Amino acid sequence: MKKWTALFLALCLMFSLASFAAAEEAGSVYYLNFKPEADQAWQDLAKIYTDQTGVQVKVITAASGQYDTTLTAEMEKGDAAPTLIQVGNKQGLDTWGYTLLDLTGTDLLNELTTTDFNLVDAEGKTKAVGYCYEAFGIIVNKELLEKAGYTVADIKDFESLKKVADDIHARAAELGFDAFTSAGLDGSSSWRFSGHLANMPLFYEFRDDGVTEMPATIKGTYLENYKKIWDLYITDSAADPKKLATATGDQAEAEFGEGKAVFYQNGTWEYANLTGNFNMNKDNLVMIPIYCGVAGEENAALCAGTENCWAVNSAASEANQKATLDFLKWVVTSEEGTKMMAEQFGPIPFKAAKEPENVFFQDANKLLAEGKYVVTWAFNFTPDVDNWRAGVVSALTQYSAGEGQWDAVVSEFVDGWAKCYQAIQ
Amino acid sequence: MNKKAKRTDSAALNSSLIRRPIQRQFAIFLLPTFICFCIGFLWPFIQGVYLSFHKFTTISHVEWVGFNNYIKAFNDAGFRHAFGYTALVAGVSLVLINVLSFAVAYALTRNIRGSNLFRGVFFVPNLIGGIVLGYIWQMLFDRILPVSMVNVTSYGFWGLIIVLCWQQVGYMMIIYVAGLMAVPEDMLEAARIDGANGWKTLWHITLPTVMPSITICTFLTLTNSFKLYDQNMVLTNGAPKMKGVFTTEMMALNIAKSFSTANQRGAAQAKAVLFFILVAAISIIQLTVTHRKEVQQ
Amino acid sequence: MSVRTAGPEGKHTTGQNALTAVFVGISLLWILPILIVVMNSMKTNTAINMDAFALPNGETYVGFSNYVNGMTFGNYPFYSSALYSVFITLASTALILVCTSMAAWYISRVGDLFSKIVYYLCVFSMVVPFQMVMYTLANTSRMLHLDTPWTIPVVYLGFGAGLAVFMFAGFVKSIPLSMEEAASIDGCGPLRTFFSVVFPMMKPTLISVGVLEIMWVWNDYLLPYLVLDQNKYKTIPIHIQYLQGSYGHVDLGATMALITLSLVPILLFYVLCQKHIIAGITAGAVKG
Repeated sequence: MKKWTALFLALCLMFSLASFAAAEEAGSVYYLNFKPEADQAWQDLAKIYTDQTGVQVKVITAASGQYDTTLTAEMEKGDAAPTLIQVGNKQGLDTWGYTLLDLTGTDLLNELTTTDFNLVDAEGKTKAVGYCYEAFGIIVNKELLEKAGYTVADIKDFESLKKVADDIHARAAELGFDAFTSAGLDGSSSWRFSGHLANMPLFYEFRDDGVTEMPATIKGTYLENYKKIWDLYITDSAADPKKLATATGDQAEAEFGEGKAVFYQNGTWEYANLTGNFNMNKDNLVMIPIYCGVAGEENAALCAGTENCWAVNSAASEANQKATLDFLKWVVTSEEGTKMMAEQFGPIPFKAAKEPENVFFQDANKLLAEGKYVVTWAFNFTPDVDNWRAGVVSALTQYSAGEGQWDAVVSEFVDGWAKCYQAIQ
Repeated sequence: MNKKAKRTDSAALNSSLIRRPIQRQFAIFLLPTFICFCIGFLWPFIQGVYLSFHKFTTISHVEWVGFNNYIKAFNDAGFRHAFGYTALVAGVSLVLINVLSFAVAYALTRNIRGSNLFRGVFFVPNLIGGIVLGYIWQMLFDRILPVSMVNVTSYGFWGLIIVLCWQQVGYMMIIYVAGLMAVPEDMLEAARIDGANGWKTLWHITLPTVMPSITICTFLTLTNSFKLYDQNMVLTNGAPKMKGVFTTEMMALNIAKSFSTANQRGAAQAKAVLFFILVAAISIIQLTVTHRKEVQQ
Repeated sequence: MSVRTAGPEGKHTTGQNALTAVFVGISLLWILPILIVVMNSMKTNTAINMDAFALPNGETYVGFSNYVNGMTFGNYPFYSSALYSVFITLASTALILVCTSMAAWYISRVGDLFSKIVYYLCVFSMVVPFQMVMYTLANTSRMLHLDTPWTIPVVYLGFGAGLAVFMFAGFVKSIPLSMEEAASIDGCGPLRTFFSVVFPMMKPTLISVGVLEIMWVWNDYLLPYLVLDQNKYKTIPIHIQYLQGSYGHVDLGATMALITLSLVPILLFYVLCQKHIIAGITAGAVKG
């Protein structure tokens, strides 16, 4: 009897050890997701993966605007810290680079079709992989544009854009719609201008000066162009420039969705909302480059880049790191994974990517096929992003309301940049 | 002198019958709260002081930088401005909230119809979180003002003051109602017979009696203003920015903004420590002064 | 504790009637913001964005569909958030009331150096904004495994002890010693003396502190967000926060609906206990 008991216990011990070892070897994945609207899709995908492979995948989604706070709190957790995180820009790389795995030579990297969207540190190590890309520009309602007597082909540069917009604005009452949607400067909308529109002067300046790293100072060479396009936005629009401070992003979207404006500056991510929530016909939608009067801009394509990069926590156990990389490879190669990525993130720069139905990407690709140059996301170099943008937004708001001078915008742009750079050193 | 002697007297009695037995049960009475206080405040705060001498991303990834963060904090014009601005908001809201809530309390103890209902209504804003009511007021102000409040420093200032009053008058008012009801009727009667007018009665009889209420209300309104974050963030988020300084930014917001950038967290922590020291000093002075007044009365 | 009457009940002077009229006006202003939230909770998102002050009309009125949207949003059931919110609020408030009133009694009655130090630390903690300790607090509570709704009251007690101890200690000072002495002579131990004599006398302060804590915990967002294990536990304010998407999109209608829902229990609580609350704060203030 005793013998049997001993044997039984020994067997139990062996099994438990074996299963323990197996679990240890398999590792697990913990993804701290950035996008609230993709939460459900990630949870579903994680479940499929677990069912197929037995590897645990935990997905936690940070609340909107709380990613940094959440990430900081979660990264304290040692063994329970996220194994997979999102790093958006240069500043994120500087902050978290010390604990990110060098992804050079991994299967994930080999699946990429382009390395343009990756974040590479000073030593040339690829620390984060751009897993999707986005493009922004001016979204045009073709139907309305044609009603006003123009076609997209009429708009080739800033001059022609201004001519069309001015004319539509002048005839707004008669037409029943205006040129531009409200350029809201509420927090839900201001990033379109302090981030995306500000990319125009930054991109051209960096291109002239050959800047490839976060610069300590900028000159603001093209701020006159920034002013031109901004003035156009706030003049040729139905919104009161004095009240832009509280105009929201959803308000602008609704104006466009309901056919009250022809032009709407935003990005590829708007496609689902416009065709879904507002039932817009996709054939009526086209995205054109942002023109601001820079020489040669008729050859510009859309502004393409990403703030969505995956990075692996090198402080995680070897097994967990491996599990994470395996999971990512599965996401970008498997049927289920690529389908989800195409639905949630549009085109992804991986070999097995599925074609998304988003027409804006077709616009982006068409422009590239015509041999035009990509306007990259130069704003990814912004130091102390939130504070720099807050300064620009404040000055823009005052300028638009007639309470401040354009000089203040220039000062926030240029001097603010230098200060923000200093602050994070 | 006399008072002190009395106190020692009762303390002696106190110690034999009450003090010792309680003290023996330290583990039941004080220890649980103290342990939780250490977990929920003291230890995190001490860790914060430790971190203020470091450059850090997470608590486990730190680098000693000495007083660098403090120098950074002092050199930050926005921080210095935020300190003065916080003091200004605290001062003005302290006066306004107390005067208004006293006035409302005074009116509501004048036997007017529906005063119980009004007391209830005034209390309601206390029940809503700061972010929600900030948003609602922002919409309201946007309707009323010629330009959005984030454009003009004074709009932002008074907007914040109005919201603070709206939110806190109800609570403070109830404390004052209590104080006013404790004013002895016969003293008021005597004053009236002596021919004292309304103001004189208010000044010499009513106010001294409600002094304890004033102490509590001052303390609560002051600490509320010093900690204020939600409403400030929602209403203006510090805007407008003039000469490189966010003109309507209060301390908590300034510190929280620095916290949002990983490389500034050390400086943010140093600001927090500095702010704490300053506020603690002010609170001590305030408590001592009002307490002394109370004793004098 | 009846309201002092200037004249016989029921007779009001013109001045008093005028005051009543003024107060009716002010009262409306006082609850207007809440009415706006409730009104907007029944409008379409677009209508809220375009004009938050317009009354809903045939086109913009959507009835209770925002409520349904808000409650069915995402992969986390709203009723769980609501239950956790209720539990955390009640448990934390109860824990704070019992523990800090005991601590305050100890501090006031013993008054040794340690008590004084604890008391002043509590007073100082009242002026510290949560942001200053949030990361270190989240880290400490994680190390001690306090990341569940059942244990988070400990964190609330810790961070909220300051105000409560301050208010209770102020009240205890005003209670005469004689009753406690009598109880002690009758052979009651401190624990019995406290719960049979002191605790009932503290009722007014218990109410005022209780109200403050309930309002704080119920509306609190950042502390539970950072402390709780997000995959398993959410509270109503956290649930509302998740209605915000990236790129600045907010489901405003659903947000308004959930805010309205979150107001219901606390308003109900307030209306039911209004008498006690006002009497409590009143009495607590006079003594404290």
